[in-house]
Amino acid sequence: MSGENAINFEHYGEPEHHVYALICPKCGKRFYPSVLICDVCHTRRNPFASAGNAPPEWEKEILEGPCTLLSWTRVFALPEGFTVKSLDFCIVEFPNKLRASGRLEAENPEIGMPLIAHVEIVNEKVNMDHYGFIFSRENYN
Amino acid sequence: MRKVCVVGIGHTVFGNLHHLDLVDLMGHASLNALEDAGVLAERREIVDQVFVANMGAGRVNIQSAIASALVSRIGLESCMAEAVENGPASGASAVKLGVMAIKSGMADAVLVTGGEMMNAVTRWISTDFVASMLHHEAEYAYGMTLPSLAALFTRLYMQRYGVTERDLALIAVKSHENAAKNPYAHLKTPCTLEAICESDGADHANPIIADPLRLYGICPVSDGAASLLLCAEDSPKMRHFTKPPVTISGIASATDTHCVHLRADPLILDAVRLAAERAYTMAGLTPRDISFAELHDAFVILELAIAEEAGFFERGTAHLALRRDETRVNGRLPINTSGGLKAKGHPLGATGVSQIYELVKQLRGQAEPERRVRDPKHGMAVNFGGFGNNVVVTICSR
Repeated sequence: MSGENAINFEHYGEPEHHVYALICPKCGKRFYPSVLICDVCHTRRNPFASAGNAPPEWEKEILEGPCTLLSWTRVFALPEGFTVKSLDFCIVEFPNKLRASGRLEAENPEIGMPLIAHVEIVNEKVNMDHYGFIFSRENYN
Repeated sequence: MRKVCVVGIGHTVFGNLHHLDLVDLMGHASLNALEDAGVLAERREIVDQVFVANMGAGRVNIQSAIASALVSRIGLESCMAEAVENGPASGASAVKLGVMAIKSGMADAVLVTGGEMMNAVTRWISTDFVASMLHHEAEYAYGMTLPSLAALFTRLYMQRYGVTERDLALIAVKSHENAAKNPYAHLKTPCTLEAICESDGADHANPIIADPLRLYGICPVSDGAASLLLCAEDSPKMRHFTKPPVTISGIASATDTHCVHLRADPLILDAVRLAAERAYTMAGLTPRDISFAELHDAFVILELAIAEEAGFFERGTAHLALRRDETRVNGRLPINTSGGLKAKGHPLGATGVSQIYELVKQLRGQAEPERRVRDPKHGMAVNFGGFGNNVVVTICSR
């Protein structure tokens, strides 16, 4: 089949996963992670809106791409469910001044170095994979 | 406003006590406090209210409603009783609620007991349980833990202020030295700079746990309990007590962002500074008036950072005072004479109560002679919840 009779298999595929910043509809301030009230203009966000009961008023903006390393660590004592020897974590700052924590995958990290934020699985659990930030060098992939 | 005094103190040894029952442990500390106050037999007539500080009994020990369990174990029915959970600051939060109950007039005498039994589960599970206080989506889901946040903080702090690995080791050496003289401490073995920092074998003896934090830069996982009996100074019950009362002259708390990365400057601990300012105001004191302090050094870097936020030193200079021995027992401002969380131990719910126990013991002049502060007037305790997002500061005065 082709043309307008073709079956669209897109919705069977793996959905894209992103981490989003939320934008206050009144003053435009960006938030990550989400909040229920804007700390500048006090506009509220309805948590039920994003569940499909009402159109979300707070726009979502994909939070990925270039960022700068603020601090990092390599941790050898991990919590239940993590079976690797160590994991690297960091705090980064995006050009829009939002900051985030996440997984660091870069050799010889140095405070101030440029990184790229991607979203991948960071915590694998049966039917409950958690997608989150992986920060790597610019030449990632 | 009514003045609130500490009239009885109790403590258990801290350590790996998983062979004991958590409620027994808390009950033992509670009865020690009542006995210290001289009202063991009269406890039902004396105690109006019990506050129990604990973070993990529901998950780790499968014991919920722990205040009811404790009251019944020590024969204190029919007093009022509630549990308080505020992460690692649960202990001082429970004391704060005790002070509020007395000042409001709802109670004259309040027993505050904190306890924790974390070694009942594997280290893997206890690490996860403590990490569950982080932001679930933005921190916890990645596998981040409290030591992770402390390590991120430590790296930045070292870079900005020139703090060295030797400085961090110096704090550990001082804490172990004090803990070795404290009969209740978890880690009673002294350590030396050479062993953990300045010898070829130091990397082996003191391995990296969360870079740049090493084993000796992090508190142990401890079990234990501590207890205080509080009473209104104007209550007729005061005539029953046998020990000199110590006044809680200031107690206050403050909060900060749940996520550490949301702070404008990740090195500024606003909640410590604000809680300290509020406690100073309540007590009518300034940092210069404080004779000694118990600071929440779950990670050694926090001894420096909290001391600065509390106003004892200019920002970025506490390590210089450390190098000059100013924070040792015989120094200008002794810090963590108990051994601190680093070496006395850190049974989460007990910690804030235990810090105030140490203030009272020093202010009464009852600390062991080798770690006794000379003629103290006012002591401060800083109990730090989360990674600085809920902090309680207490000032006790003689």
